[in-house]
Amino acid sequence: MGKINIYHLYPAHLNLYGDRGNMLALCRRANWRDIEVNIVPVGPGKEIAFTSCDLLFMGGGQDSDQKLVAEDLKRRHREIQKAVQENMVIFAVCGSYQLLGHYYTTARGERIGGLDIVDLYTDAGRGRLIGNAVISCSLWDPPRTLTGFENHGGRTFLGPGVQPLGTVLYGFGNNGADKTEGAVYKNIIGTYLHGSLLPKNPWLTDHLLRKALAFRHQDTALRDLDDSLEEQAHQAAVNLAARRTHK
Amino acid sequence: MEAEKNQQQNHHDSHKKAGPIGIRHLVAVWIGKTLIALTRILGRGGTTLPGRAALAMAPGLSYVLAGRLSRGTIVVTGTNGKTTTAALIDGILEEAGFKCIHNQSGSNMSWGVASTLIEHSSWTGQMDADIGVMEVDEGAFPGVTAGLQPLGVVVTNIFRDQLDRFGEIDSIRDLIQKGIDALPPGSFQVLNADDPSLAALTSGKDVKRWTFGLELELPPDEFLNTGRDIKTCPVCSHKLEYTRFYFAHIGHYQCPSCNYQRPEPDLKLTSCSAGNEGFNRIRISLPEQKLEAELALPGLYNLYNALAAVTCARALGIPGPLISRALKKATPSFGRMERFEKEGREIVMALIKNPVGANEVLRTLLNQPGTINLVVAINDRIADGTDVSWLWDVDFEQLAGAKSRFTKIIASGRRAWDMAVRFKYAGFKPEQILVVEDTGRAIEEALEQTGTGSELFILPTYTAMLEMRGHLNKMGLGSPYWEGS
Repeated sequence: MGKINIYHLYPAHLNLYGDRGNMLALCRRANWRDIEVNIVPVGPGKEIAFTSCDLLFMGGGQDSDQKLVAEDLKRRHREIQKAVQENMVIFAVCGSYQLLGHYYTTARGERIGGLDIVDLYTDAGRGRLIGNAVISCSLWDPPRTLTGFENHGGRTFLGPGVQPLGTVLYGFGNNGADKTEGAVYKNIIGTYLHGSLLPKNPWLTDHLLRKALAFRHQDTALRDLDDSLEEQAHQAAVNLAARRTHK
Repeated sequence: MEAEKNQQQNHHDSHKKAGPIGIRHLVAVWIGKTLIALTRILGRGGTTLPGRAALAMAPGLSYVLAGRLSRGTIVVTGTNGKTTTAALIDGILEEAGFKCIHNQSGSNMSWGVASTLIEHSSWTGQMDADIGVMEVDEGAFPGVTAGLQPLGVVVTNIFRDQLDRFGEIDSIRDLIQKGIDALPPGSFQVLNADDPSLAALTSGKDVKRWTFGLELELPPDEFLNTGRDIKTCPVCSHKLEYTRFYFAHIGHYQCPSCNYQRPEPDLKLTSCSAGNEGFNRIRISLPEQKLEAELALPGLYNLYNALAAVTCARALGIPGPLISRALKKATPSFGRMERFEKEGREIVMALIKNPVGANEVLRTLLNQPGTINLVVAINDRIADGTDVSWLWDVDFEQLAGAKSRFTKIIASGRRAWDMAVRFKYAGFKPEQILVVEDTGRAIEEALEQTGTGSELFILPTYTAMLEMRGHLNKMGLGSPYWEGS
């Protein structure tokens, strides 16, 4: 059967909001279909050969870690840019989603240059945007919902060449103003949603697996799984977000 | 003992503020006391409303009432171990003949502290106690410390917990520093030397600093792969190096770049061995003497809690033999490996609230012999943390590795389905997972499948624990929390 190489970027530094759950979802759902997953942890300063990477996963970090990571990433800018143009799959959550853009401003007002790969930027805002969120996502026709938890101080704005991942049904989204959440550009998906996101939204996990398989022209047909637990968890989380009760 | 007391008294006389209480404060006390009585009549252990109402009337009330304690207050904060550490300090002080008051673990915000003080004050605002031992939430720590002007503070550790409230770990450390900066001259701070983020905190002027740490050889830790939230030097951000890891980022560390390193602790726990009847024999080395004690609380984390409490007791000048006697009497606090018995079946309730603490609980659980009956109840109310993504950082994989030892595992609470998915991805087969959202029904189901002579483990988040304790109380087990535990 197929084989996917997942590069996990800076697992020691970008691991803030249950990112382990996202990795676990990708691995389990591939393994349940006898697709082999090879995880390559990439630490700062290490050489990366993106030529053998099918899916690059980038998680969330604290401001202090993120700054360290940003410096290191910028040195790899050209390799990443090239891989992106060749349609490598990137899944970036929260802090690293911000890093993909032109710049982001930290809570302490420091502006940190990004990778300039996706046409978006992030300004600091007053107060953090925190809570359960549900978005309607057009990666599918008809659109499907994605649900997760967001917790970010930054307000992200998308440029004209970038599609949002979804439209906010409940929650704040990219900036709390324009109802967009996340970004899709080529095979890159960036989002503020964690929770962890992938276990409770198995169709997004499968979407990423298919894209990763397609990247190296492997068979993208995925066997159906019994997702009743995941679907119940999804629905329960959507209901909680709709009620927005946390007392 | 009297001599010790007198010594303390001289040192902290400035905290005694007798004299008549102002009318505004008095009215606030009345409001608070009336509301406490009312919530009791309604059968609730309400500790939020009375304090909030009284503070709205008189914002400085806690300072005024705490000032009427003959000695003052001790404030305990940190991510994990607050409740147990505060209870141990309380036990030691009582053993030394002081009359103590303390807040319940759920009321650890500023209004909870106020409620506790009001509850123990007379209608004329007199306090019939010597010392208040208050466990305080990290977020409330700066405000409470500034308000109470305590004798001293104890900081246990900083882990990832409830980021939905605090943002990030860096901001938690900023909060702790703010609280320490607000300490009055002549007070003390007790810090965990094995936590790199705490040892780098600066102390205020005329604030005596006490540190504690473990010096034990332990076998390698299988739970090391998660929860290491602080990997870099708090001074220069370089990656820290460790010669010993106890759990998460707690251990013996040094920075190869700026030479920041674990300070030599004032109190060291140098040995721990299994003694009689489930007691651990521990040896603590103090600056001028060695102290031996027996401790019934299980787990490595409780060694830290005990050590934190002993350090605080030393800072207060309590003699060693009294400390040992108090430690031996210590029983698990409210919901921390608390035990109940129901018709020959033992129920063990252990609060889980963040990855590091939960991993420690799982480790202790897996050390039990035989079949394991388990309920994990996850709520996402404010007191639990509204973000449940931390469940993915807990090593439930360790349980799945021993899945044949489990009967059906039950996922419960508002986030029961999230927990069920977590179990599935940890490696349990869906057939082994039972979802019972209602926490009361979950207990009933679990007891049904727990055979006589075996143990049922309940791992709830905070508000799920309150619910489940309520259910157990109704079954005639334990007592309501406002009647003391």
